[in-house]
Amino acid sequence: MSVDLEKILRPVETPLPEFPPKFMTLSNGQEMVVRQVDRDEIPDILPFVEPLMHVERDFYHIVAARVYAELLSYYTHRVQDEYVFIAQVAGEIAAIVNGRIVNADIGMSYHTLSLRRGLRVGAHAFAAKMEYHIDILKQKEVLIVAESPIGFRRWMIEYNLEKRFHIAHELGGCPSWSLTRDLFDKARNTLVVGRRPVPEHLLTKAKVGILSPSDPPKPPADLLAATRSMLDNTGTSLIDMKRKLGGN
Amino acid sequence: MELNIYAYKCKRCGQIHYPYKTICKQCGENDHNEFDIVPLPKKGKLLTYTILHHPPSDYEVVTLSLGIVELEGGHRITGQLNIKNPKIGMKVEGKVEVVRKEAYKKHLGIVFYQV
Amino acid sequence: MREVYVAGIGITSFTRLEYPLVEIAAYPGLMALRDSGLKKIDHLYVANMGGGRINGQTGLASAVVDHLSLTPAGAATIENGPASGASAIKEGYMAVASGMHDVVMVIGAERMREVNQLEATDFVATLTHPLAEYIYGITLPSLAGMFTRLYMEKYGVTSRHLAMVAVKNHHNAMDNFFAHLHEDITIEGILDSPEASTNNPFVAEPLRFYDVCPVSDGGACLILATSEVMKKINKPMIRLAGIGQATDTHAIHERKDPTELLAVREAARQSFVMAGVKPENVDVAELHDAFTILEIAESEEVGFFKKGEGHIALEKGDTKIGGKIPINPSGGLKAKGHPVGATGVGQAHEIVLQLRGEAEKRQVKNARIGFTCNFGGFGNNVVCLTFIKEK
Repeated sequence: MSVDLEKILRPVETPLPEFPPKFMTLSNGQEMVVRQVDRDEIPDILPFVEPLMHVERDFYHIVAARVYAELLSYYTHRVQDEYVFIAQVAGEIAAIVNGRIVNADIGMSYHTLSLRRGLRVGAHAFAAKMEYHIDILKQKEVLIVAESPIGFRRWMIEYNLEKRFHIAHELGGCPSWSLTRDLFDKARNTLVVGRRPVPEHLLTKAKVGILSPSDPPKPPADLLAATRSMLDNTGTSLIDMKRKLGGN
Repeated sequence: MELNIYAYKCKRCGQIHYPYKTICKQCGENDHNEFDIVPLPKKGKLLTYTILHHPPSDYEVVTLSLGIVELEGGHRITGQLNIKNPKIGMKVEGKVEVVRKEAYKKHLGIVFYQV
Repeated sequence: MREVYVAGIGITSFTRLEYPLVEIAAYPGLMALRDSGLKKIDHLYVANMGGGRINGQTGLASAVVDHLSLTPAGAATIENGPASGASAIKEGYMAVASGMHDVVMVIGAERMREVNQLEATDFVATLTHPLAEYIYGITLPSLAGMFTRLYMEKYGVTSRHLAMVAVKNHHNAMDNFFAHLHEDITIEGILDSPEASTNNPFVAEPLRFYDVCPVSDGGACLILATSEVMKKINKPMIRLAGIGQATDTHAIHERKDPTELLAVREAARQSFVMAGVKPENVDVAELHDAFTILEIAESEEVGFFKKGEGHIALEKGDTKIGGKIPINPSGGLKAKGHPVGATGVGQAHEIVLQLRGEAEKRQVKNARIGFTCNFGGFGNNVVCLTFIKEK
């Protein structure tokens, strides 16, 4: 009885080719691996997304909340044809990107969540997603929206995305933008970066475990820190100087 | 009607200024607005250039080509370039066109093409 | 004219700060008072460029002097573009040297991240000539791009040299608690690897992402005082010995030779003459590397190296900590950050720290004479300072 119900509740999955993992050198010389993850790795990823739901700047809170929901939907088989990639640096998770295949021709990009500040990690992860849709799945276009102005600049403006305002994007129903095969080809040298195959030691390190990010975005320890001289991550050097002056 | 970029010639000593200066940089003797306007030549050679990948927010283009041109006669001018592959020393010719739109204002300036 | 000394210093992290501008300005003031042990000042100067436009706060110095409970001391806000910091120090110096005041506090503060990066760049672009440059969409990076291309043509500077400046400064900043960026970038990551063009895309060709300083918030403070005051408070005698300032044409295309920074040359010369030292006597320097090319160009114009040889000295390692003339041990504007109004005071803060021997891991050994160059506009208003440690 329950097995039949589950069969009804689950969407029918289309068999999709796997994303062949790739690696790239970051600005600080470290190597990053971008690979697809299966459902069984999702519970390991969720704890890294959760704290970001409380970082109220740069739209981290809404992106993290939505990514959490999308990862959970993927895990519980409640969304059709979703894929999830993660980027790892020495095993530490650095970014999560995901999306969905609507049909053979159209892809629906969901999110790009950077868990490591700087180093253009988000740019590499986004590019990997687009390569998957256009080059590997041979789709005709990918529909994209952006929650934050930073995202808008990085994708809509920089790649000159086409407007598809008559199509409501699955994220909030707002007008979509599209990365067509044509636009992808034009931007190929920035969108198809990274190398394959991934060296054995890097891939093993990435697969053996997903480690927590060492420098993720954090909310300030106290929003009123300014008036209370407490240590906060967004940065005054007060504590350090106090220590040097011999105070408490 | 052909549009020009104008330079300012001191009525006392004839020194040409582009852009405008209130006091003549050569003689320093002029009265307020004591300048004749003279059109700048439009032909010259490209002194240096850049391709700006993050233009100001009121531009809708992804990149903006800008350069400094040394005009015939020795005066220099900054302008936009409508040139595919600019090179230092290239011969260029300018035309006055809309170069920036700010709210309702359209700014006219010089745009250089390859000769 | 009386001699002027640095009685106290203070600084915030140069990063993205969540506090209002007035508090970013007040904190370093608090720390400098604690550092010096002083309780009162005669006058406050606050250097700031964007307060009115970005933060909706005009009359910043009047707000800060009350915030620090230092009323009825006099106060004035100083705006000189990116050279506001050193300009405010110059004003403070003149107030003390002239005999008008005994203790003057100079703060530099900026909160650029109150707006997004596009708006911040647009705001800085208002420095340019309104009719000859601004209307074409010229921004500071585009001026630096054109300057860099000429420098590359004339002197053979390459992208590799620019990358070396960025890597050196990022590396120095790893030991600087207050620095904005703690990213230990490598030449391989930003130039050589196949992914370099994504890691380090063009901003204003030939300048790339890692050739341009970040947009930062931050504040720094210096307290200037007479030798009598210094004797009472028992702090190291660091003297502000030389100040130089010079201006150049507003529109870049009107410069005599667009590869020369005449204002830098003249300001540095004045500063050395006043201090009674030569460029080769300088032990440590903080130069204005808003764009990596500027560190190379300024190192030549101030007199450390011959014109056109700055990049060769860089290759030899002369400008590293431990080299002949360490430049930007703090990480410079590139890695320490560039909160526009605070930068000049931040540079002075680093030099005082070095001369006091308190720079910890990035200490330049036996630093006795220090120099800063604060570059306003695009080289059209430059202020240089020389500090000497006495005894």
